[in-house]
Amino acid sequence: METLGHIISGFGVALEPINLWYTFLGVLIGTIVGILPGIGPSASIALLIPITYGMAPASGLIMMAGVYYGTKYGGSTTAILIRTPGEASSVMTSIDGYEMARNGRAGAALAIAAIGSFIAGTLGVIALTMFAVPLASTALKFGPAEYFCLMFFALTAVASLSGKSPAKGLFATILGLVIASVGIDLQSGQQRFTFGIPEFQDGIGFIVVVVGMFALAEVFRGLEKIHSGTADQALRITGKLWITREDWRRARGAIWRGSFLGFLIGILPGAGGTIASLLSYATEKRLSKHPEEFGKGAIEGVAGPEAANNSDTAGAMVPLLTLGVPGGGATAVMMGAFIMHGIQPGPLLFQTRPDLVWGLIDSMYIGNVMLLILNLPLIGLFVRLLYIPSGILYPLIIAISVLGTFAVNGSMVELYLVLFFGVLGYVFDKIEIPIAPMVLSLVLAGIMEQSFRQALTISDGNPVVFLSSGISVTLVLMSVISLALPFAIPKLKQWKAQESD
Amino acid sequence: MKTDRIIVLCILFFAAIYWFGIGQIREPLIGDPIGPRAIPKLLTIGLVISALLLWVETVSKKRSKESASEPEASSAQESGSRPVVIAAIVGGTLVYFFLFNWLGYALATATYLFVLMSLFNPAKTTANGLTALGFSLGSYLAFTRFFGAQLPAGLLPF
Repeated sequence: METLGHIISGFGVALEPINLWYTFLGVLIGTIVGILPGIGPSASIALLIPITYGMAPASGLIMMAGVYYGTKYGGSTTAILIRTPGEASSVMTSIDGYEMARNGRAGAALAIAAIGSFIAGTLGVIALTMFAVPLASTALKFGPAEYFCLMFFALTAVASLSGKSPAKGLFATILGLVIASVGIDLQSGQQRFTFGIPEFQDGIGFIVVVVGMFALAEVFRGLEKIHSGTADQALRITGKLWITREDWRRARGAIWRGSFLGFLIGILPGAGGTIASLLSYATEKRLSKHPEEFGKGAIEGVAGPEAANNSDTAGAMVPLLTLGVPGGGATAVMMGAFIMHGIQPGPLLFQTRPDLVWGLIDSMYIGNVMLLILNLPLIGLFVRLLYIPSGILYPLIIAISVLGTFAVNGSMVELYLVLFFGVLGYVFDKIEIPIAPMVLSLVLAGIMEQSFRQALTISDGNPVVFLSSGISVTLVLMSVISLALPFAIPKLKQWKAQESD
Repeated sequence: MKTDRIIVLCILFFAAIYWFGIGQIREPLIGDPIGPRAIPKLLTIGLVISALLLWVETVSKKRSKESASEPEASSAQESGSRPVVIAAIVGGTLVYFFLFNWLGYALATATYLFVLMSLFNPAKTTANGLTALGFSLGSYLAFTRFFGAQLPAGLLPF
């Protein structure tokens, strides 16, 4: 009953005029960012963090969450009209969505993407509302050792699932922890790796790394594309902007299945919206009576993946809000935003700030309705964004990154660092080192080190403390499995192939 | 494949520098049981392990490619990279940062934006100029007047 009261009072927070405005602003920015190819949700949330400093934490977080789930709606538009996903998880939509557009059914493809996204987004938030409290209550039983093991598991899962090479994922994870080790050690007061630079005493700013690695690196890739003449051209919207009865009959099953799959995958650390939409596409193709239509404009190939990548965002909010552990790049940036507003996400948040956490969750119901309106009747307006020359857009993103970074501390050192991390992000993309594990470990490093040291202080320096409870043993085992599997599976396949030969 | 081998060497080199940096951290006389050097030491071990695992991956990939007799191609070649363009943008951005305080935010940003837009959106001089100037002055006034941010005025009187 108490939870029900919190949910209702959460609507009171979400429906305040100022928060309605920020929800609208967030989903509007999300839609725009999703439509514009190049800049993703992580970069846009990072760029917004400095602007939200002056706001009430609830308003700022509601807006940034709106950007996060809003990008998923917008991403499908670009995927359908120019066969380039506006953000990574729309990659599967681009296959059949673009074919539908080429067949003169762009309107139907955009409509089913928006309807599927709305149903899945809303179902995802309902599931988030149902699972949040039981999971947060369980997490309250965690001590420092269990917390350390949980974060360790999240890092190993993300490291092994991101990118093609688990070794590179592991390196990226450790590099994030290395960057976080710069600055004054809060426990002993000693300086670590500051090289006599006063700005380094507070550590390397989270915004600096995220803006550089996501926004600037993305701009470099975009400008490189313009220079090489491989920038994409958009198709015009053709056909009626609605679906037929037959379209709905074919798509509804895919939407339900995609919603379920996306939410489950969203909860798991490391998997993310791209894997959710990929699995949904594969499932729909397998279940379809006409698998030969996939790749040629099957509406299920748009509805399923779009549903999956939208319910994934609500699923990803479950570990972030209830455990304080993000499962991917964008939620890691969200967690950074929470921390910058002086709020530590986790189970205690449901007790100490129920207004904020339920206001945020309830705003997602409202945001999904706003997104449906923005992405159906108003989609014609947003599509015009695709005709803005990239040669104007990308330089503006650099200028916004510089402005956002400098406005926080007025530090030139931070500007040079943003540029450094921008180049590093560009190079990492070229040599296929994933960025998400690095950002995740950077944001978790502080709490992880604190839990590690607290656990060892409690146990008088005895490392067995990390294996002293059922929860921590399970988490350590899961970490070992998630690290070993990517190396073991190819070996097993090789061995099986040799056996069959 | 060649790129991966270079990455392995870079990680090991970086781990060595990081290890040297650990030696510079002062150990407090009193404090927690593990001290400020423990985590960095663990991270160095992690860096070395990741380099070794990448080496193993590279070797096993090479073996499987040899058995499939595929030609070796570097990642940079596959993606068709153009490092000269990026180097020029980075150089230009550094010049922008050097002029940031002297010219001021608005003038430095307008100049930087105009140059970059002229290069990547050529033959649209008026649109580029208006966008560059409009954004720079608009954001300068918005941030200094409404958000209370401190941006360098430079040569501008306001």
